[in-house]
Order: sequence, then C-alpha cells, then structure tokens
Amino acid sequence: MTIAQQYFSRLLSRIEARKDELNALDAALGDGDHGTTMLRGLTRAAQAESGMGAKAFMRASGGAAGTLFGLVLVAIERHLVSDADLPAELALAEARICDLGQVKAGDKSMIDALSPAVSAFSDGDLDAAIEAARQGCQATIALHARRGRAQYVEGKGRGHQDPGATSIVILFEVLRETREGQ
Amino acid sequence: MTKLFNSQETMVDDMIDGFVSAFPQVERGKIDPRVVVRSRARKNPDEKVTVLIGNGSGHEPIAMGFVGEGLLDANVVGDVFAAPSADLILDGIREVNGAAGTLLLISQHSGDVINGRAAIMLAEDDELNVRGLLMYDDVASAPPERRQDRRGAPGTMFIYKILGAAAEAGLDLNGLMALGEAVRDRTVSLSAAISPGISPLTGKPMFKLPEGEIFIGMGVHGEPGAGRMAYGPVNKLVQTIVDKLLQDRPIARGGRAAVIINGMGGTTLMELYTIWNETRRVLAAHGIEAIAPMVGSFVTTQEMGGFSISLLEPTDQMLAYWCEPSDSPAFPSISLLAQEALT
Repeated sequence: MTIAQQYFSRLLSRIEARKDELNALDAALGDGDHGTTMLRGLTRAAQAESGMGAKAFMRASGGAAGTLFGLVLVAIERHLVSDADLPAELALAEARICDLGQVKAGDKSMIDALSPAVSAFSDGDLDAAIEAARQGCQATIALHARRGRAQYVEGKGRGHQDPGATSIVILFEVLRETREGQ
Repeated sequence: MTKLFNSQETMVDDMIDGFVSAFPQVERGKIDPRVVVRSRARKNPDEKVTVLIGNGSGHEPIAMGFVGEGLLDANVVGDVFAAPSADLILDGIREVNGAAGTLLLISQHSGDVINGRAAIMLAEDDELNVRGLLMYDDVASAPPERRQDRRGAPGTMFIYKILGAAAEAGLDLNGLMALGEAVRDRTVSLSAAISPGISPLTGKPMFKLPEGEIFIGMGVHGEPGAGRMAYGPVNKLVQTIVDKLLQDRPIARGGRAAVIINGMGGTTLMELYTIWNETRRVLAAHGIEAIAPMVGSFVTTQEMGGFSISLLEPTDQMLAYWCEPSDSPAFPSISLLAQEALT
C-alpha cells in the first residue's frame, strides 16, 4: 500500500468514527448528511489505485461538497504521490474553492479552517497548520452563515460549529498521523 | 406512486443502455460509460470545436437526446436530479476534445456551476483547450439588473441548437462564445406549474400546490416561483406570462420572436398546441411575429404538470442556425414558419 493509499484508508476509518458527529453538526445548519457524504466518497477513495483516490472521492460523493473537498484531497494526494509542494498545492486549492463556491473567510464554511491553515503552513510546519485550522474551526461557532443552506436557517447557524471546517481539521490531522505512521 | 425501474442503483445506467441501443447515432463513451457521445458523422475534433453539457438525469429527453450531428457532441449524465461530478465532466471533455477546443455549456444551478467550473480548471491543468458558457434565462429568479444571477430554464435550448449548428459549420471557439452570449442576452423564459412531479428516488410529490392555484416561475426541481395565480382559462395565463416576458425584455412592434413551448412531462400535446396558439395571438397583439416554434416536452421533471414559454429575438444568423436540421434523437425539426421568415 502506498503512502497515499494509507492516507485514504486512515481517513476513511477516522470519518467512519466521527460520521454521526459530522451529520449532527450538519443537521443544525443544513440537510444533515455531511458525514454520510464524506464517508461515501472516502469508501471509494480508499479502494482506488494510488494517485486516483481524490478523483474517486469526487465521483462518489457528488454534488458541490464532493468537488470542494475533492480539491483539498487532490492537493494532499499530489503531495503524497509525487512530493508536490504541499503549501503551494493547498494555496491553489483554497483559491479555487473560494472562486468556485463564491465564498470567503468569515462566511462560516470550510474556508474558515482551510485559509488560516494555508497561511500558517507557508514555512512547511504542519503542526502550526493543524493548530491554525483548529482555531479557525472553533471560531466558526460565533459566525453567521452567508453561503450555503445554513444562510436560510433560523439565526443563520450562529452557535453551531461548521461541519465543513471540522472535516478540514480531520484531513490535516490524519495527514500528520500518516506521516508519523511511516 | 409506482414508477417503473429495476433498482435505484441501476436506474440511470439502465436508461442509458436503452437509449444508446435505440438510436444508432449515439453511443456510450470509450473513456467513461456515463458519457453519451456521437457515434457517426463526427468531424475531426482538431478542426471542429466540440460542444457538450452535463446535467442530472430525470429531465429526459434533455440533454442526451440532443447529442447528434449538428447539435451536441456529448452529454455527461449525472444521477437523478444531481449534477455530474467535476471529474465525470472532465471525462466527457476528454471524450471529445481536440485542437480546435471544446465548449462546455453550463446551465446555471449551483451544483452544475461548481462542478462545471471545477471540470474546466482540471482540464486546464491538463492543458486542454476548453471554455465554459454559463446559460441563464429564467426571469422569475432575479430582476433584469441581476440577469447574470438567473437560473437556466428551457430557453437555453436556443443556445444548444444554435451553437451546435454553428460549430458544425466551422465557427471557432471565440466565435461560439460570442454567439452564445448574444443568444443568451436575447432570451427570456417563464414557467407555470399546475401539478408536481413525483421523485423516482422518494416516490413522493416534489411540492404541494393549493387546489385551484397555479405557480408562476417554478424551477425545474420544484423550487419556489415568483408567485401564484388562480386557475383559469389558458389564454389569460399565457397573456400574463408573455406580458411579463416582454416587460422584462421588450421587442419592438414589427419585430419577431422565435418561441419554445416546453411541457414539463405531465402536460399533453393537446394542451401545448393550445398554449402555442395563444402565445402567437398575444405576440401578434403586441405587433410581434411569432416564428420557428418548437413545441413539445423537452426539459421535463418527471410527470410535473405545467409548461414554460421562451422567447428569442433572433438575428438572421441565429435563425438560420436554429433551423438547420440535426440528426439527434430528440430535437424536433423546427417549423417551416422559420424557413419562410428567412426567405
């Protein structure tokens, strides 16, 4: 099993364990299936050939989330498969997600964890990136949503942690574990 | 309500199998079986720009029914009412792309826009020559000053057909983009719904409508519309819709309008021909000649009852491409009324 395949396999186990928690976070803000959607995509990604995991994820999870998280997974997989510069790949993914989703920092979305992580990651320190993502994720509790279904929820989701930001933290945590497990 | 299918897991692929085996001019893609491509009379993609679109299934015959010579080169088929994923659309682009480039048509709905634009980004990473054209025409979804925020509605069929014919005639990618934007800027649509469709996934009606009322401006998935009105004779309803369309984008007296009357799946041709006739009369009362009608059920939402009216104020060039014959399985031959307008 290549390191990229190990990454998707570990990520699948972690999301499986936290699926109900992610669904519950999403139920407060959207349609309550974020954990299930991630799990569906990762099940296929973990079975894919090395280098094809992120694409398998996009195909199987579908919809907007499949593509937006798929871009982050493309960046991580490229780094693991061909040693691409991870901070640069993630910065590209961040820019594309903001552009495609018409979203910016402070809108209460995955970007609120991804964007600080990318900034903290500029000198290649993964621990700093994870800490920044956690703080960004925590900060979404106080925000009100300006994009996505949560903007139509009563109170615009204020008081609830964003499920997408939560998943971003998990993506980085599992990357560190995969590196340490080598 | 009972629907006819083997299983929810196989229903889309079973449909595609049936479709490609019924019509020899189309086949499944070689790179990806969820792509329907032209099987014959294909010109060299290094010389002809290829045109494709992706969309959720459940709206047949659009858009796989419009794959064929003189129309689309491919259609990327998503799951029921779900936009195809970005990598699936990328596979569709790879199926048909050549040196002349590829135009991806994107009907403006959030999943289609995100995945379509992501597919273009991925294609550019692979150094493929691809551009995307956003299509929007539904006057109920945003006011005229925010036209670019409108949803795609059945008026986008003007773009499919006119660009498909223009690509076949040899127009290059920049030319097609400009022509597509011009058609878009001259097109408006508005719909009315009288009864819901039944989702094949849930077996349940997709919205509720009070007895004796009609929704105006309903979206293709049953999204809320601009308003309701009481059920009454169809001439009043058509008058209301056409007046709203002309208010939004006026056509001068003495002008002409190409017309699409689209049924949503549960509306009969008896009703649709009546609606065309009333549309023609209302336009005539405004001093506008109705030409080149396309009347039938093309963008459907299962058995939803209702229809939309789309108007295009065409240039001579647009009208000529609109009337070119195509060999796609489900695009109709456009009425000779247009041929008369051309001569």
